[in-house]
Amino acid sequence: MIVLRRTVGQAICIGDDIRIVVTKVEPNTRAHLGIEAPTSIPVHRLEIYEKIQQENCAATEGDTLAWLQGAVNDA
Amino acid sequence: MLILTRGAGETITIGHNMRVTILSVKGSQIRIGIEVPNDVRVLREEIVDSKVKQATEEA
Amino acid sequence: MTHKEQAWKAIVEVEQTNTFHFPQGMVGFPDADNYVVLNSGHGDIVCLQSTNRVEAAFLVTPWDEKRLGKHPELTSEQIACLQSPDGDNIIWFLVLNPFSDPKWVSANLRAPVAINPDTFLGIQCIQANPELDLHFHWMPQPGLSQQAA
Repeated sequence: MIVLRRTVGQAICIGDDIRIVVTKVEPNTRAHLGIEAPTSIPVHRLEIYEKIQQENCAATEGDTLAWLQGAVNDA
Repeated sequence: MLILTRGAGETITIGHNMRVTILSVKGSQIRIGIEVPNDVRVLREEIVDSKVKQATEEA
Repeated sequence: MTHKEQAWKAIVEVEQTNTFHFPQGMVGFPDADNYVVLNSGHGDIVCLQSTNRVEAAFLVTPWDEKRLGKHPELTSEQIACLQSPDGDNIIWFLVLNPFSDPKWVSANLRAPVAINPDTFLGIQCIQANPELDLHFHWMPQPGLSQQAA
């Protein structure tokens, strides 16, 4: 992990097209980070990203097409 | 520009293989942890700016 | 045309001509970026099958305005990613999970799928609202409803 100290107004450049700027700091509490990235690169809070990832994995855990064909036959 | 608010220990995902974590907030200074693949370059913006300036002056 | 009718029109056109491209893949499957539609024409659910990874096969169903109210709004980044002029032509789908609950097929309301039927581009859109249910009871498991009958 690369560790940097930053304060309000300072920024970090990642690769050629991602920029993270500290827009505000609530003292001793929270940082407001502005993220500039191409629209093709999704940006999310980790907790929600992992929740959705888990749910997508659960939704594809079995053979979805076989389930669907079975469900259609039952109907 | 997307703005996300994070406290100490909280993380942002960028793409599928990059993470930015707020390690601590002390006063108005923050420590940020950046995790990226080895071939991705991470720089302070001031360095990027000064490199561009240097290259322009040399040209 | 209702949202559902538009969704089915988009799905049927794809099956006949083309594949959908998801520039960001699906969450957790970033490399699964091309999808074909399987098993359409049999009720309300189709399989969005990745051509990159066989296990990335998602059951999806069109957003139902009667049950859920209006579909989500796109952010400007998402509109740009889908190459939509204003977001108005977008069609919404829900990812269904038939495996986690023995009694229910659930729908993930927190991360629906948005598709642009003109460009065949799609993205899974994580919603900010924490109240949205990841395991919304969409329908009883098919075998069960038969037993109840």
